[in-house]
Amino acid sequence: MTPIIEMQKVTKAYHGAPAIKDVDFDLRPGEIHALLGENGAGKSTLTKIMAGVVEATAGRMLYQGEPVQFATPSQALAAGIAMVFQETSLVPSMTVAQNLYLGSESFLNRLRGVYISAQQFLQSLNFPVDPQATVASLGAAKRQMVEIARAVKHNAAVIIFDEPTAALTPEEKRHFFALMGRLKQRGVSIIFISHAIEEALSHSDRITILRDGERVVTDDTPSFNREKVIRAMVGRSLSTEIYKARRTSNQLRPRGEMVLSVQDISMANVVRNNSFSIYEGQITGVFGLIGSGRTETFKIVSGIFKRDFLHGGEIELRGRPVRYRVPAAAVKDGIIYVTEDRKLEGFFETMSIAENLYSGLLAAGLEQALFVSRREMRALAAEWRGKLNVRAMTDNAKVIELSGGNQQKVVIGKGLVQRPRLVIFDEPTRGVDVGAIAEIHHFINQLADDGLAVVVISSYLPEIMNLSDRILVCRQGRVVEELSPEDATEEKIMYAAVH
Amino acid sequence: MIFASLFDVFRGKAVTIPPMDGALRPNTALDDSASEILEVSEPDNLCASAEHVFYSSGHDLMRLEGHGEGPAAAARFDAPISALACSAEGDLAVGLDDGRVIIRNGTAERSTLGPADFAGFACPTALAFADAHTLWVCQGSATHRPSDWVVDLMGKNASGSIWRVDLASRRCERVAADLAFPYGVLPDPQSGGVLVSESWRHRLLRMGGGNGAREIVLDKLPGYPARLSGGADGGAWLCLFAPRNRLIEFVLQEDAYRADMMRSIERDYWIAPALSSGAAFLEPLQCGGVKTMGIHKPWSPTRSYGLVVRLDPNLRPVASFHSRANGRRHGITSAVERDRRVFVTSKGGNAILSLPVMP
Repeated sequence: MTPIIEMQKVTKAYHGAPAIKDVDFDLRPGEIHALLGENGAGKSTLTKIMAGVVEATAGRMLYQGEPVQFATPSQALAAGIAMVFQETSLVPSMTVAQNLYLGSESFLNRLRGVYISAQQFLQSLNFPVDPQATVASLGAAKRQMVEIARAVKHNAAVIIFDEPTAALTPEEKRHFFALMGRLKQRGVSIIFISHAIEEALSHSDRITILRDGERVVTDDTPSFNREKVIRAMVGRSLSTEIYKARRTSNQLRPRGEMVLSVQDISMANVVRNNSFSIYEGQITGVFGLIGSGRTETFKIVSGIFKRDFLHGGEIELRGRPVRYRVPAAAVKDGIIYVTEDRKLEGFFETMSIAENLYSGLLAAGLEQALFVSRREMRALAAEWRGKLNVRAMTDNAKVIELSGGNQQKVVIGKGLVQRPRLVIFDEPTRGVDVGAIAEIHHFINQLADDGLAVVVISSYLPEIMNLSDRILVCRQGRVVEELSPEDATEEKIMYAAVH
Repeated sequence: MIFASLFDVFRGKAVTIPPMDGALRPNTALDDSASEILEVSEPDNLCASAEHVFYSSGHDLMRLEGHGEGPAAAARFDAPISALACSAEGDLAVGLDDGRVIIRNGTAERSTLGPADFAGFACPTALAFADAHTLWVCQGSATHRPSDWVVDLMGKNASGSIWRVDLASRRCERVAADLAFPYGVLPDPQSGGVLVSESWRHRLLRMGGGNGAREIVLDKLPGYPARLSGGADGGAWLCLFAPRNRLIEFVLQEDAYRADMMRSIERDYWIAPALSSGAAFLEPLQCGGVKTMGIHKPWSPTRSYGLVVRLDPNLRPVASFHSRANGRRHGITSAVERDRRVFVTSKGGNAILSLPVMP
């Protein structure tokens, strides 16, 4: 059987760093093909190449046996490949019908005709969605239905679903899988990206697993079980080269005083009755898949987000109840949050290293001079550049000109000048080269050795297992499991994060 | 935070459940490390005299024999045994589900105290000898029997009391009242009073000392505390017979729902703590939240749990032994330390367990 899509040795590199490398992949007509892998494994990149969202750096793509290269999503859509994104691409202020016909309008449109046609089309798919409703008024599942309807309306032969069930309730998921079955019966080929392993095992015909941008395995679904999938997803041959072997109980730091006690904090549907404690002199690793509420929980702790006003739970800092409305209050109490999105939230990109570091000092109100002191700024920059080994020509180098690793060091330095007692690192080594990873890890360890309470949020399992003295696993907005690094395995952590 | 208590009047006070971490970090010690020394129906009330370890099973008072021999029957009563204490002199105090407290010496019955001696209270949940002449008695509730503890909890009662009994004169003195199901008592030589586990308020209290004050020594426990017993290092062993969870806390806030549930549903299937769970399909808390692909998730919400906590001489938790949601040794009601081992009754798991005590 000729594959409808065939990817041959496809590579995509961003700024020289490959997101996927030499990936072979094929999709057969009328099959449901599950694409699995950890965060950052390259699933989205691969499918975005198929859908014309990004262009491959190397390799080639065959569609219905013919070599193709889509420059834009509309070219792919015209050829019959549609992608349904996790965050829907609908226009919220327009109606369902208008969204369905967006991009394929006639010169003159009769609104009534559009609604009738949309109504008939949605009914033919058995979607209970009002075509006159604005998209903003729809729930996640119905938005997903509209997105799917749009893909089907273009007579797509291939539909790619990126995490389609992440926002759905169990009942909505049942409807979604029934629809996927109907599309398959109509001969549509489906690629289905999911973190939920049991969904892939139950609803797909074949499974491909990516890891670190490379294809690990493709096989018929019946030949997989959950353990095999997880092993393929997380097993890393490079783990022991980059990260040290697992630590024993003698190497783990004993817990000190309880610094932070979080009890049943909630924020909308993102953080749900989350409870845990943080101790000084230890690194607490927090693992969870995207959407598990890890970042949001710690943003609440550090005053960036507010917890629910009604029944939002309690946070105690050294036994004192706290409810921060702005981060400044948390900083004053010794809590700093080192962001996962350094470009957006971490630094002032057009300012120098020295100015960025000094801004951290100013934010905490720890400056010694009455006015902004250039001398104090220079002394501070010299001190922290040395401590963190930031590689730059001068202290006046703009942060935007630095490499990812050095930018991250500046962000860390900007927080640490505030003399914190609790440091929260969110994805501290994301987009950082291997050399800088080791330096950042060394620095994080040093903080814990100095008696600070340290939290490391990471999606990268070896990092969590290597750095942490205790591991908290988050799922659906709360900590579900605590493991000790000596008895934690990647499989155990992943199982807790998924189920 | 200044206005938080004012807002609570309108928004309702948030009930939070402390996490099980630190010294209470979950493990599987009760399932994996403990050796099961006896499989027995609903064991409870472990206590140790100089020579023997006693426990109860329904109406029977049993004696654990050493050297691997089986248990021996010590006595049988006409009502289920609800509390038990041994004195250093070899006396036994036995509380019964009908409210009587019987003091025995060897096989002879020395005296019997009835509800009338305790101002009508008929719920002896825990007993402890302070010395040969003084007995401390926990009366869990003014309105329910010990076996009706779940009704007392779901009725949100706080009518328990602590009594000091002078055995020579049979004088019973109420030391504390309005307690939410006192379920464990341990003489406290430091204050001359007792430590009491107040189950429905999830805390340990010190009371009955010279100054008559009631002091909270440990609160915000993640479960419902049961019996207390002394540790060889001067600390204590605290059993927690069931966990707290969000669903039960929610039901405890919803008075109308709870009243309706108690009226119309069989007690075994209430959304309430239990000594064991998962046996019947009619029970609450099932489906994907509990089991996924045939695997019972250890962190899933549960009505029953197994937990014994070791407290240091300052009554701070230092270690804990767990049987998690997927475990079998649930409903830990009593523990006693002897010869560097701690014996534990898993009332929900129908077993007596033994664990080594690490220094």
